[in-house]
Amino acid sequence: MSYARLARYSSWQFRDFIMERGIAIVIIGMLWGYLLVEPMRRAMGSAFAAGPSSPTWPLVITVASSVVSLSVLIALNGIVSTDRKMGYYRFLFSKPISAVAYYAQLFFVYMAGVLFSMLLLSGILHMVVPDFSIFNFLLYAALIYIAMGGIGFFVSVATRFDWLTLAAVWVGSRVLRDVYGAKPGWRSKAVELLPPVHKLTEVSTSLITDGTAHAGDVLWLAGYGALFFALGLFILRRGSLAD
Amino acid sequence: MESLPPTRDDSYSAALVIEFRQVGKTYRSLLGNSVKAVEEFSLQVAEGEIFGIAGPNGAGKTTLIAMMLGYLRPTAGTVEIKGLPARTYVERNGIGYLSELIAINPKWRADTALVRYATLAGIPSSQIPARVDAVIEKLGLAEHRDKKVKALSKGNLQRLGLAQALLREEQILVLDEPTHGLDPVWTQRFRGIVDELRRPDRTILIASHNLDELQRLADRVAIIDHGRLQRVVSTGFDHTHRAATRYRLTLASGHERMRESFPLAEEAGKGEYDVTVGSIKELNTALADLISRGGLVASVVPERSVLEQQFREAVGESQ
Repeated sequence: MSYARLARYSSWQFRDFIMERGIAIVIIGMLWGYLLVEPMRRAMGSAFAAGPSSPTWPLVITVASSVVSLSVLIALNGIVSTDRKMGYYRFLFSKPISAVAYYAQLFFVYMAGVLFSMLLLSGILHMVVPDFSIFNFLLYAALIYIAMGGIGFFVSVATRFDWLTLAAVWVGSRVLRDVYGAKPGWRSKAVELLPPVHKLTEVSTSLITDGTAHAGDVLWLAGYGALFFALGLFILRRGSLAD
Repeated sequence: MESLPPTRDDSYSAALVIEFRQVGKTYRSLLGNSVKAVEEFSLQVAEGEIFGIAGPNGAGKTTLIAMMLGYLRPTAGTVEIKGLPARTYVERNGIGYLSELIAINPKWRADTALVRYATLAGIPSSQIPARVDAVIEKLGLAEHRDKKVKALSKGNLQRLGLAQALLREEQILVLDEPTHGLDPVWTQRFRGIVDELRRPDRTILIASHNLDELQRLADRVAIIDHGRLQRVVSTGFDHTHRAATRYRLTLASGHERMRESFPLAEEAGKGEYDVTVGSIKELNTALADLISRGGLVASVVPERSVLEQQFREAVGESQ
């Protein structure tokens, strides 16, 4: 019964996503893409659209993957913490619904919203670069949403400064892996516990280009995010909504 | 005045609905500092009661309510509603709740906010428009229904908060400072609404520092201070109460006879006198004497309500 109520409410959640985040994601994605891709396209003319063999393909991959990361950051920002900071939880959860189910649903509704936004953006990019596969790009976006979004969800449950914390964790993990990952000793083992951001470059290139990726990398990324998502739900179940 | 013990007594034979059992809540900072918001709090509220919680600012009223709704976990003891852990009960059944701070997304429209809450409350889709219209009508929000929440005045926002609490026929209603921000007209209407809500199978909890409001609305009131239950007071009049009580007496005529009946009366101006008596019987005897001597009494008003007297005794004059 509670799940039926929540399912009916998902249309409101999706609408909120579009109005408060989706439009912003599409505008930022278009600006970002235009500023980086358009000068190159003008300079190279028809050679630009040559697909993976083009020297500009890595740039297209970089732009596309960074738009996904930025979108996930925007989508997950305050997904739980805003309701707690602003006190919106008070009326929401006096109704006969579970906070855990509510936020789990919200996470997946926002995932649908991110994928919808990525569909629009990749559709535009596909018009400029016909070899750019919308389907492959959406696969990559879904993977990154789970990997990065799972951690973002956990951070939003655990802290009030989730956007900053998630960005710091994401960038910090990358830096620490670059610095200590190849060195001998306990530090290289310790950084293995950090989010597997070092696998992103390889995964983004192969997944967006030809729709394949090393299964271990995909599992590691998705598993890491899923674990933190589950941890976030566990804290929601066991902890307090109010401060 | 009767002061009921904090635990349930025989006079309340109705089913037990809400039970706080040795509840404590301590807030701890990262630096190790701790503040005890609630301590060893035990209370039972029965079905059909309108129960008040009174206390000065910072007494722990809102913390207690947050624990009752399962938003906060007690650090000691348990809070149960109809035998279930509080959060479990709320997740299964819902509670009509008006919080002290009305927090509704400011970008939402007033009527769509109610539609959203009605959806979450489980009201069937086909009934939502009629139910939303009904609470909008009841709370006088018709002319504001299209406005965004951020455009509502404090009073209208308070009414919107109350409207969402009344969307469903809840068995339990929790109203935290319900008349906060309401103008005198709506404060009066609110009292009428609460009277209409009274039902044998419904329990209403009202937290307020407005003692007059609680005196009028509640059957019993728990007075808390510094997170502890000080006493539970029945708001009905107890004629056996023997404590000295001060009244303001207004005379229409017969001022010269006043001191013959009330030798210690103090003039308060404009034909008004303050008199202190030891009991209702003593007051009535003296009044009868005054009237028999030709005095014409316009009004007799206790300086403090029953609840206010109890509150001052429990919390102290400084509050």
